[in-house]
Amino acid sequence: MRFLLSFFVSGALAAAAGLTPLAEPDYTKLIAAHKGKVVLVNFWATYCVPCRAEMPSLVKLHEKLKAKGFQLVTISADEPEDEGRAVMFLDTTKVPAPRYIRKAKSEDAFIQFLDPKWSGALPATFLYDRTGKKIKALFGEADLKALEALILKTL
Amino acid sequence: MRLSLAALAFAIAAAAAEPGEVGQHVSTLHLRDLENRELTFSLHGKPTAVVFISALCPVSNAYNDRLNALYRAFSSRGVQLLFVNSNSNESAAEIAEHRRQAEFLFPVLRDTSNQVADQMGASTTPEAFLFDGRGILRYRGAIDDAKNPARVKQSYLALGLDELLANKPVTTAQSKSFGCTIHRVRKLN
Repeated sequence: MRFLLSFFVSGALAAAAGLTPLAEPDYTKLIAAHKGKVVLVNFWATYCVPCRAEMPSLVKLHEKLKAKGFQLVTISADEPEDEGRAVMFLDTTKVPAPRYIRKAKSEDAFIQFLDPKWSGALPATFLYDRTGKKIKALFGEADLKALEALILKTL
Repeated sequence: MRLSLAALAFAIAAAAAEPGEVGQHVSTLHLRDLENRELTFSLHGKPTAVVFISALCPVSNAYNDRLNALYRAFSSRGVQLLFVNSNSNESAAEIAEHRRQAEFLFPVLRDTSNQVADQMGASTTPEAFLFDGRGILRYRGAIDDAKNPARVKQSYLALGLDELLANKPVTTAQSKSFGCTIHRVRKLN
């Protein structure tokens, strides 16, 4: 438990400077560390136009529902050399921590691990309930009204 | 009799495959050129690689030189390479201008109703589908394993093509990579 907490806290602190690198085992720990909250994990990249377009709405959703136990987690799929641009976008858009960047050895294995039905197309959004169970996978731009309704139902 | 049973088993297996599932059988593809002329491509008789690309997606654009290299290497070896744009938010004029700027050696085909993308379950750019000479899908997924060409370790599509041309089984049947979502036509229910 202490390990999970330190992982979560270190992730939040690291986000202040850059993005926390994240691979498959880290993802499992990340979800476990947020048990008790409804978590929306959003995969995005600076090069992805619809990802950038929907991010402000996801931030608004976070601000609106965080008191009820909702948490937005973002994971950038950018290349390591684009991390600076990713941080700049997240800062400008006021995206809260925790903020991660994927650092898997194999992109193929990482995507397959996250969801066998996911091709890797961005954006992709996964919703977890308070027990850490994945209840929804959204590929492509999310229907934000439907997403908010589902989050409220899950909360 | 044994041969016809084998053919029957093959036909049943291919027919049962879902769109984009390795083993799926596709006989023809209907696409349009940039002048909006309808074209039909047979997938029988030679290996075919269908690559979904985009004029706007930076990941797809990171592959422009590699697409030319693939075309140069394999079109001369009897492979049919089809480069398809299924994005409803990219006009023929934009695609033509992009083709000129990227100095593509090949024509770019349009899939204006997403029929071909739906047929194969394609969702990403860039994404490749490799069919053998009988129209059976043998590989689907990334062109290779790195957006940055300096970091490529596995050239999945080129390897699969080499294997098909050598009459060997394709060793990697599927791979995934981050890319852009294909912007489909909104369909009324």
